[in-house]
Amino acid sequence: MSEAAGLGALLRLAAVALFGLAWVVAAAGQEGAAPAGAPPAPPQRHVKIAFVQVDGDPRYAPIVASDRIVLKKREHPFAGAEVSIDDAAPLQRILGADFALDRIAVRSPADVAPAIKQAADAGTHFFLVDAPAAAYAPLAVAMHGRDVLLFNVSEPDDALRRQLCAAEFVHVYPSRAQLMDGLVQYLVSRKWTNLLEFEGPSSADAAMTEAFEHSAKKFGVHIVAQQKFEPGTDPRQREHNDPALLSAINRDFDVVFAADSDFDFVRTVPYHLVRPRPVIGSIDLRPVAWHWTWDHNGAPQVNSRFEKKANGGHMTGADWASWLAVKMIVQAVLHTRSTDFAKDRAFILGYGSFDGDKGLAVSVRSWDHQVRQAVLLAAPYEVVASAPIEGFLHQSNELDTLGDDQPESTCHLDR
Amino acid sequence: MLRLIVALGLILGLAFAVTPAAAKGTGLIYVSNEKSNNILVIDPKSYKIVNDIAVSRRPRDMHFNADHTKLYVACGDDDDIDVLDVASGKVVGKLATGSSPETFAMDEARRRIYVSDEEASTLAIVDMDKNIIEKEVPTGAEPEGVMVSKDGKTVYVTSEVGDLVHEIDADRGYVTRDVVVATRPRRFAATPDGKELWVSTEMAGEVNIIDRQKFVVTGKIDFLPPGMRQSDVTPVGLAMTKDGKTAYVTLGHAAHVAVVDVATRKVLDYILVGKRSWGITLSDDQKTLYVANGLGDDITVIDTASRKPIIAIPVGRVPWGVVVDE
Repeated sequence: MSEAAGLGALLRLAAVALFGLAWVVAAAGQEGAAPAGAPPAPPQRHVKIAFVQVDGDPRYAPIVASDRIVLKKREHPFAGAEVSIDDAAPLQRILGADFALDRIAVRSPADVAPAIKQAADAGTHFFLVDAPAAAYAPLAVAMHGRDVLLFNVSEPDDALRRQLCAAEFVHVYPSRAQLMDGLVQYLVSRKWTNLLEFEGPSSADAAMTEAFEHSAKKFGVHIVAQQKFEPGTDPRQREHNDPALLSAINRDFDVVFAADSDFDFVRTVPYHLVRPRPVIGSIDLRPVAWHWTWDHNGAPQVNSRFEKKANGGHMTGADWASWLAVKMIVQAVLHTRSTDFAKDRAFILGYGSFDGDKGLAVSVRSWDHQVRQAVLLAAPYEVVASAPIEGFLHQSNELDTLGDDQPESTCHLDR
Repeated sequence: MLRLIVALGLILGLAFAVTPAAAKGTGLIYVSNEKSNNILVIDPKSYKIVNDIAVSRRPRDMHFNADHTKLYVACGDDDDIDVLDVASGKVVGKLATGSSPETFAMDEARRRIYVSDEEASTLAIVDMDKNIIEKEVPTGAEPEGVMVSKDGKTVYVTSEVGDLVHEIDADRGYVTRDVVVATRPRRFAATPDGKELWVSTEMAGEVNIIDRQKFVVTGKIDFLPPGMRQSDVTPVGLAMTKDGKTAYVTLGHAAHVAVVDVATRKVLDYILVGKRSWGITLSDDQKTLYVANGLGDDITVIDTASRKPIIAIPVGRVPWGVVVDE
């Protein structure tokens, strides 16, 4: 535990830019005269938020083409949290509280639970967990019943919401089930209901395919054939590594769904099918929590603040989740006027209208602590649609047409 | 840069001096179109477009000066407020603002424009004559709606992200009080008696009512037009009659205008309009209501007596606001 913190870069970001709107305001006042209603004394209360990441997390390895061209640089979603801390700066005078963001980096998923336990022992209640799925089971055990909220900001694994089902978690990042339901709703709305499926060799590809097939069944989309691909150039394997041959089936299809979390083989799929058909899933049209081109609901302002913070980098779904997690904490302190953990926790889990800049108001599902939210269907340069798609109805909240609704959920934290 | 601004200011001042005052009350309707970068001028009787004025990029909020010789237009993508000469229909000046101006308020007595700067989280106070930002007042994140009190002493600003309404001392230039409101506060209306401030809270789907004296929320109004989803109820625009009896609230994606009895705070009726209705304006005689439908590329003209839409007029791309020259 001390090892984890010691070995990792423990980076304290004292919210430097934040303290003292008081002074700014004072300076802005007319010279001399002490203004009536002058700002109160600087903040007395402190809210600590820790961002926990795993160094060497393969989810953030750069994606490199065969000739070493870097296609995508991927960053831990820390900047998203930083933007939210900056957004909270003007509130400090009003709240009488400030927010400090600590960055804790550990060496492996197994080190996440001890590092969080140590920080919780030292008084931190709020954690942004940026770790692969493997870190969660030990974390649930270590923190069971503790006064903490652990915000999952980057892991879509459905099992964390279903089998693991721990009350200390708030899954801000959408589940695979939510993402795939959003994608399939769009297909149904276009009447593109005959799908050819390409599944990659990794376990993440299998999980994505499974979620997709579940959504297809839920919304009545027909999968005409399931093909497994093997990345490579081996001519003996051409039935499995050539998109033309993979798509040369004796049935027509509207769209190819490709699950390739490595973003390797899938790059060769568009324009290489035997029929002129669009590709969705891991390339071209993807279901995401956020997109840098989203230009409704106040999104351009958030994207712009993020890009300034991240030196021009684009805000990702995980950045959005980090941004929202911090925002939920800040809003809790604002609306309860309290830094008491029990009050803030109750507010976060119970409030019906957090603003996630994705249209419909965001809230936490009582049964599995998944954040209900819109899913954006993004092409590289355009958000094509936002799910829930019009026409998919729900008796209480259309956002619950995406992912595990209360009746089918296996997790019942509300009972 | 400063010299340029001063020069611009001089030109502007000159324009003021030499332009003869146009007759107040042509009755023409002006519509700002965010994506086609123009102001369309519509005849109120024939509903025909009589002029199409190219302005700086992304025109949104508009205000006439007192004698209606000038129309001020906030242009978000060029970081300025265009000044239109109403008689000639030409842009005769530009006032520099902070980044991406959306809504603003004018105080001609103090020769000031108050404009929120979303990116800097400040309220910029622009000197209309010198064409300089004389002061920037720090606000909550993403300040949006701006209103100045009748006596010009107080400015109110919403913070969309902070769920706050700020009260600002206009002369001293700092926030004097704050009040927490519901999620995503957008625009204001004030009761004519000066007692209440109404603010639309888009994400919560409400209007919150603030007691201006005590500066606390004393009430709220919920909306749900028949057949619409609660989640689509996203109130933004507010208009109140001069007698202070009736308020009209545009409900955004719920594509309706709510008619509210101010005294009882009860919703009396819902009037069907287009998608993402935001901008709303009452005619001077209070008989006609104009609503800009951002995602319908049209405006709806409503008869307030019968509470029925009369016509929808196609305009430019993404209409934001409507004002009437009268």
